[in-house]
Amino acid sequence: MTPDMKVTIAGVELANPLMTASGCCGYGEELANLYPLSKLGALVTKSITLKPRLGHPVPRTAETASGMLNAIGLANVGIDDFIREKIPFLAKQKTVVIVNVAGSAIDEYVEVSARLNDQPAVDMIELNISCPNVNEGGMEFGANSRLTEQSVAAVRKVFSRPIIAKLSPNVTSIADIADAAAQGGADAFSVINSLVGTSVDVDSWRPRLTNNKGGLTGPAIKPVALAMVNAVYERSRLPIVGIGGIATWSDAVEFMLCGATAMQVGTALFIDPFTPVKIVNEMKTYLKKKKISAARDLVGKVRKY
Amino acid sequence: MIKPACEDAYLIQSKDLRNSYYSLTFGSFSKAGQCRPGHFVHVQLPCSDVFLRRPMSVASVSRGKKEIEIILKVLGRGTRMMSDLKKGDRINILGPLGVPFRLPRRSQTVIMVAGGVGFPPLLYLATEMVAKGHDPVLIEFFYGGRSAGDIVEKPRIKKLGLKFHPVTEDGSLGSLGLVTQAVEEYITSRKGTVKPVMYGCGPEGMLKATDELGRKYGVGGQLSLEAPMPCGIGICLGCVVNLRQGGHARVCCDGPVFDIGEVIL
Repeated sequence: MTPDMKVTIAGVELANPLMTASGCCGYGEELANLYPLSKLGALVTKSITLKPRLGHPVPRTAETASGMLNAIGLANVGIDDFIREKIPFLAKQKTVVIVNVAGSAIDEYVEVSARLNDQPAVDMIELNISCPNVNEGGMEFGANSRLTEQSVAAVRKVFSRPIIAKLSPNVTSIADIADAAAQGGADAFSVINSLVGTSVDVDSWRPRLTNNKGGLTGPAIKPVALAMVNAVYERSRLPIVGIGGIATWSDAVEFMLCGATAMQVGTALFIDPFTPVKIVNEMKTYLKKKKISAARDLVGKVRKY
Repeated sequence: MIKPACEDAYLIQSKDLRNSYYSLTFGSFSKAGQCRPGHFVHVQLPCSDVFLRRPMSVASVSRGKKEIEIILKVLGRGTRMMSDLKKGDRINILGPLGVPFRLPRRSQTVIMVAGGVGFPPLLYLATEMVAKGHDPVLIEFFYGGRSAGDIVEKPRIKKLGLKFHPVTEDGSLGSLGLVTQAVEEYITSRKGTVKPVMYGCGPEGMLKATDELGRKYGVGGQLSLEAPMPCGIGICLGCVVNLRQGGHARVCCDGPVFDIGEVIL
């Protein structure tokens, strides 16, 4: 018997629990050249801001031990071009479309989200209140309970479909921030965004990123992400989308056991763009072997001491 | 756009070309036949020490045999590990990637500007042109390095029958100076008699000087750029360059080959 891979996030059914992470798959066009996007549970776009952004000067990525740093700086086409040039493509894809929304002020989140509310191709939005790479806004919202609640509540008024709040790990208590996002009206959480980090060249004494610091991602952060997913799971009843270093089927299973209903693959796409497709297939084999009929039965089942 | 393969290939030959240069030939790569001059492959090493793939331009292919050759210079951890690979070792190849060179018209005089480890894609381009019937004497192959040791695969380049112009900064081989100085002398001495097209690949300074020469003397052509690139397929936005017309281009998928004058170098 083929295991049931379907999961539901805030009433939206996904064909399987694997999504691409924001900032790691553009607007989907490049991956669509490699495989049908219907193989993904959902596609999460690059962060969209009100105005187009070129991002930070290069170098804006740096390799680290089992991971990488990035300070792309929310490079994106802006909401006008996104709607005009990218939405028509996304509307044709047979997958759930989640648009990541970023801003430097609450008004910007609201305006972008309101524009997306008029686009039926957008199934959900993910609020990036946790980007470590912009000087203004971004992580500031997600590091403060009051601002988190305010920004989610403001967007809630203009966006009628599900809102996922993307939470920052760069906080004292991620569960407290999750509470605030839920209070503001979030329907789900994605946990975690990248960890603030840096790296320095010992010859030039220069940071390896022109932004001087960036976000650490990849397998190096997986243990941190798992603990944070579990902390949010134990606090809140809202569904969690787990993110952080997922590269194999066993990584995905760990996230589900810790409380994630779905997972996003980010940095691993840079090593192997087929990663989410492979994970879905290999998870099926695992579930069959374990005689588990549905992937969702794994959620939160970690047997803690 | 070619759909790249993402698959394991095996080292079938490793040749030490001296001075930290190595030629590696990988077999069992199903898309070898689709690798054009200017394409690159993104190579994943079978060890956890090197996390990201490494972009390597294709130096030659053996279509029927599904083999591709890359030539590298050991510069860091990734290239060091690649040079240590043994016959039969497995690596994973994603490719072919990027936009390849546009081949010139057969009657055109072609100036190749190669600097250091930038020569492999131009070697492939020249080989392909000659194979397609381009008269080799129309190809002026300028190849610069710090000293004689940096100019590798000389017999192979000369065997194509093209005009070979080695240039070294210390004068230990060919003319003394920078490769772009030799190219400028060539262009000015032939001005008005030939209308050449130029192809360049090499270090940043060389590319910048080549681009300036192209614009100064009205010589069109293409340059192949290098950049650290995590993904190689356009999804991470880590390898952008500034375009003269404004905005960004991704080296990995909008390039690595760009027209002279297109990019702010």
